[in-house]
Amino acid sequence: MIPRWLRNSFPYLAIGILLAGLGYAISFGQLEPADFTYNNGAEIKTVDPALATGSPEGRIINGLFEGLLRNMPTGTEPDETSSIPLRPVTMGMADTFEISEDGKTYTFHIRESAKWSNGDSVTAEDFRWSWQRMLHPETGSEYVYQLYSIEGALQYNTGAIELGGIVEVEHGQRQTRTELFPRANISRGKLVAHGTWSAADGVVWAKASATDSGSGSHGHGDSEQEGDTPIEVYKVTVYSSDHILDELDLSGDSHEMLFIKYTDDQKVPESIAGEYTRCFHVLPDFQSTVGLKVSGSDQRILSVQLVEPTPYFSDLVAFYPLYPVHRKTVETHGAMGWTKQENIVTNGPFLLDDRRIRDRIRLVKNPRYWNADGVSLEIIDALSVESDTTALNMYMNGQVDWLTSLPTMIMKDLMPREDFVSAPMLASYFYRLNVDQKPLDDVRVRRALNMALDKVKITERVSKAGEIPARSYVPPGLAGYDGYQCGEFNVKEAKRLLAEAGFPGGEGFPTMRILYNTNDNHQAIAQVIQQDWKNNLGIEVRLENMEWRTFLSNVSETQFDIARAGWIGDYPDPNTFLDMFVTDGPNNQTNWSNQQYDALIESAKTLRGEERLKALSEAEKILMEEQPIIPIYYYVSKNMVSDRVKGFSANIQDVHPLHVLTVEDK
Amino acid sequence: MSDVSDNAELPNQPVPDTGKRDLEYYARILEEARSIKGTSLWQDAWKQLKRNRAAMVSLVFLILLAVLAFFTPLLPLQSPIYQDIEQRQLSAPSFSAIPLYPESIFENDEQLPKLSNESEIASRKQEILVTTLWNNPGTVSQWLIKLRLSVFGTWSIPSLCGTDNLGRDVLSRVFWGARVSIIVGIVATFVSLLIGVSYGAISGFMGGKVDNIMMRIVDVIYSVPFIFVVIFMITIVKEDQISAVLEKWGIDQIKVFFIMIGMIYWLTMARVVRGQVISLKNEQFVEAARTIGASPTRIIFKHLIPNVMGIVIVYLTLTIPAVMRFEAFLSFLGLGVEAPDVSWGLLVNEGIQVITPIKTYGWLVLYPGLTLALTLFALSFLGDGLRDALDPKMKNK
Amino acid sequence: MFAFLLRRLGWAILTVWIVYTVTFFLMRSVPGGPFDGERQLPEEVERNLLEKYNLNDPVHIQYFNGIRDIVANPIGEKFGPSIRLADYNVDEVIAQGFPVSASLGIFAMVFALLLGMTSGVISAIKRNSALDVGFMAAATLGISVPSFVLASVAVIVFVFWIPIFPAAGWGELSQILLPALCLGAPFAGYIARLTRTGMLEVLGQDYIRTAYAKGLATRRVVVRHALRGAILPVVSYLGPAVAGILTGSLIVERIFYLPGMGSHFIEAALQRDYPLAMGMVLVYTCLLYVMNTLVDISYGVIDPRVKVE
Repeated sequence: MIPRWLRNSFPYLAIGILLAGLGYAISFGQLEPADFTYNNGAEIKTVDPALATGSPEGRIINGLFEGLLRNMPTGTEPDETSSIPLRPVTMGMADTFEISEDGKTYTFHIRESAKWSNGDSVTAEDFRWSWQRMLHPETGSEYVYQLYSIEGALQYNTGAIELGGIVEVEHGQRQTRTELFPRANISRGKLVAHGTWSAADGVVWAKASATDSGSGSHGHGDSEQEGDTPIEVYKVTVYSSDHILDELDLSGDSHEMLFIKYTDDQKVPESIAGEYTRCFHVLPDFQSTVGLKVSGSDQRILSVQLVEPTPYFSDLVAFYPLYPVHRKTVETHGAMGWTKQENIVTNGPFLLDDRRIRDRIRLVKNPRYWNADGVSLEIIDALSVESDTTALNMYMNGQVDWLTSLPTMIMKDLMPREDFVSAPMLASYFYRLNVDQKPLDDVRVRRALNMALDKVKITERVSKAGEIPARSYVPPGLAGYDGYQCGEFNVKEAKRLLAEAGFPGGEGFPTMRILYNTNDNHQAIAQVIQQDWKNNLGIEVRLENMEWRTFLSNVSETQFDIARAGWIGDYPDPNTFLDMFVTDGPNNQTNWSNQQYDALIESAKTLRGEERLKALSEAEKILMEEQPIIPIYYYVSKNMVSDRVKGFSANIQDVHPLHVLTVEDK
Repeated sequence: MSDVSDNAELPNQPVPDTGKRDLEYYARILEEARSIKGTSLWQDAWKQLKRNRAAMVSLVFLILLAVLAFFTPLLPLQSPIYQDIEQRQLSAPSFSAIPLYPESIFENDEQLPKLSNESEIASRKQEILVTTLWNNPGTVSQWLIKLRLSVFGTWSIPSLCGTDNLGRDVLSRVFWGARVSIIVGIVATFVSLLIGVSYGAISGFMGGKVDNIMMRIVDVIYSVPFIFVVIFMITIVKEDQISAVLEKWGIDQIKVFFIMIGMIYWLTMARVVRGQVISLKNEQFVEAARTIGASPTRIIFKHLIPNVMGIVIVYLTLTIPAVMRFEAFLSFLGLGVEAPDVSWGLLVNEGIQVITPIKTYGWLVLYPGLTLALTLFALSFLGDGLRDALDPKMKNK
Repeated sequence: MFAFLLRRLGWAILTVWIVYTVTFFLMRSVPGGPFDGERQLPEEVERNLLEKYNLNDPVHIQYFNGIRDIVANPIGEKFGPSIRLADYNVDEVIAQGFPVSASLGIFAMVFALLLGMTSGVISAIKRNSALDVGFMAAATLGISVPSFVLASVAVIVFVFWIPIFPAAGWGELSQILLPALCLGAPFAGYIARLTRTGMLEVLGQDYIRTAYAKGLATRRVVVRHALRGAILPVVSYLGPAVAGILTGSLIVERIFYLPGMGSHFIEAALQRDYPLAMGMVLVYTCLLYVMNTLVDISYGVIDPRVKVE
């Protein structure tokens, strides 16, 4: 039985709960209204520049941090693509930079007024440390390949060590398991020998193998492979050095040390564990092997040595993953702690004031920013509304001033509006063909599939935002580059090619599958393509819709016949599109391979100027003739911007820095 | 006569006479008994139900809907999948007649020009139409479609409900969507019925420890957030190897979909049935069955389950709408049926995306939404009627 | 009572364990991992990421580690860092989202109960009147229209045609009302019907007639005597209703842009954010279990004849 007092208190309890709910619900409403509110899209993953990917993250990080250079829409005159080109000539933390004759050395001079939000000066050392952190294998940065053009960076990131080379060994005790940049004790010295230990054979030192990919010998975390993880041992002549980034004095005191690397699950007998010191990593010594040098009286000069002349390196530097982080903050608070609003120290035009998951990120003006006088907005709210329809409702209701993503279904009605701002983008929408799958291995079939598509219909009737039908992979608008066009819409020719390949009228053509990720636009396009192929070629395709993660895993394992794809250029250069289709490239994902193509992409790495672009253009010609992909259209950026916002200009990378915007009063 | 000795004590009675009178008497009694037996629980319920106008209208509506859904291929509707994106994208409802297909549909066929025989050309044309205008129809549907083509020719009902984003006829899609939605509703409910009724009956009949454990299991499953499980199951089923194995067994995704939903909705059914069985199992007819040595299985399935069917049927009319709503919910999350298949949930979900303050294409949500709502409406009225009719307490109220 | 709660707690632990186990292995058997991206990661980087989240241990070790963390770690560190929301622990994500979802749920529930029971009682008393028919039609409509349709239409009507509510967002009373109404509507419909049926049944019983015969006013009879008996089916419906409101909140939170747990719930599953997904599933499981237990208890509170066991 229930006691009487409890029975009687029940209604009051219920009322209490209700009041508590009410109290909480309206406690949110105490915020000061923002000057400018925009929908940032999906909830961001992190504000840590090294770990972020994606454009919502980019918009926030561009507000909070600043790199050596900055991506800015420059000028006001649109070019022939009717978009304003982006040139990272705008200076950020650096006020000048020089490129050496051979194009392999960049020297950046950091401005004196560059300050962190806690008052510390921004130095070249901050950049070197931030990039080292990004390159460290345990940071797990997804954009780390942006640094691979720096000498020694790839080797440091993958732990490729050489016998006789200088190495750094991390050993001893770590503070916490989620430390962002794990640094226990570091010993530096020459690698004398490298081998493995096993219970059966004991220690076996490797003989003459010069290079060794170090720890990179086991694959994914499958349980079968896990048992096979070799226990590695190292013999290192260790020199005394006080600091990880000091020059190593090879004439100083030295002694030999033995290191062993094993995981917690692996059993290592006492005898070995006593003789050897357990270590976490043996990596190439950052200071002496990676091409970054800090100089100047107050450490304001950073010189970067590149492997090849990389004409787009300045674009990379202006891209948010290469923005610096504040070392002391990261080291003090560690993972998850340092990005909290009460701890974070930034160097950009805005400060992180408040952050509520899936509600808003509030940015306020940073008074210590070097160009604070040029920043007009005081408070910015970035929302993360995922439903485009909801975001549009909020926009129409005056709750939001800028939409970064719009509902496709009513695009036709949005386009003519004055507040619709659009420009061609450096991005392609295309279909991947699995060339190992019969009959897609026949180039005639691939060409026929391309020529049977009415891409104008797709852009005008389905995507509807003024996208440009594509006949090449690299979008137009890159200065000095001419792409190669693949076959145009021509049903007759398509049918002839298909008949030539042995499928007249589509007879005998197996049913293929088009794989796409769950999205209304992708689905509509796939349905139109399905009908086009059926009507024009007489071939049957099935549609298969998958949610994003399953889709990605199927595509990366090339488990598909035809798969929808999109690619946004990382930097304004054809290379960001073309280098992915080299043989076995991780983003190739079509099983397509062409030696001539590989050679052209390789040669472009060392060439400069016009010749380089020509080589890339040649490569695209091969790609478009072979057609492992069917280009469909080039994306356009789609924004709705309230007319009270000034300073918003459309551009090819869809970059809209918050600090140049101004607003009129509501 | 063999009973002479019995009648020996009544010497003066005319034997045949008496027998005749008795026979008549018995016959009359038998007759009476037969006529009384005529109003079984079900007949009684039917009588009750017939008096309930709302329930009867609903029943007629549902039957009509089911019949129309089944014979959809036969109706002179436009193609549910053929896109006329150039001419009729998002066009408003209209009464102007639309041909079933454009003549250009035959243009690209390789075989047609080679054929000379009239009948061969006709059959080839029909083949092209069936494969182009409908999405992989089954054997029966194909047959119905051919019948439709020969009866109505190319005439089809105008786009009374407008067209969608890809220029497809909404009316036709609502009808074809009905087939999927209704089948999902019925099959999933049937699965839940099978599991729920047997589980509940066994639990209730066994009683004691077994009952306790079985019901605790139900409690445990009640607390599982099912939407999670469903998301994972749908993704697993789509995995290549798994779908290959399933296809070998003749199970496609849509069937897995039914089964999965059915497996979610059996819990309440099991509880309801158990409650009924517990109150029934001490009744005399069960005792009687037990005394003559009927096995527990026989008692459960032969005696108990038929007696709980009343409440089960009432509950069914609640489960079907729940299942149909769940299907719509999954479509909202993008986990519904695969395009170009259609279901009401999918149509409604497409519809709400064009309800915006800038422009509203109302017909896209109105017609599928209305049909869905009407169906659920009818099911719930029918459920009410059935409950009143089957519940003796509600009699004469 | 105490023994009852203790027994329930035992079952709760078992339930949570089973749900954890099933979800854990189900999730690991789904293709695609948290680090699959449009850009393929270098193998080295992916391995380190897996290591960072302890995902490269054998699956059974991960399983036991997960359970160990939940049992041994203090509240705030039970589920470890989220993968998708890398700046937060899963516990922080839950702590931010839970109150929002909870207050939304409470509002929706209160609305459903108030509206449902009032209209149900009126319908029963004024049986077969126009009011009765109207209420019941409205109730059936509420049940029949999918909540996402209701919400979308409600936004157009009450935000743009009759501008009395803001379109979306969280923080003010006006922002919570419309979503709570949309979320509660189907349940209000159910409750109205259940109350009506219950009332009709009770009103015919002897003790009600006695009460009337004593000369009590209709209002007093209904509120003090009839409602208590009629409410039982409503109470037993509350368990499923809570589950339904939780599911429904996934939709409403999306359409009205509310920072509740609902959006994380689906997102975590789709993005393969294993820790967040586990956290979400367990919170939802506990919530459902607690609500079911509360319903059982309130059964006893309302009807003194029912023994809680």
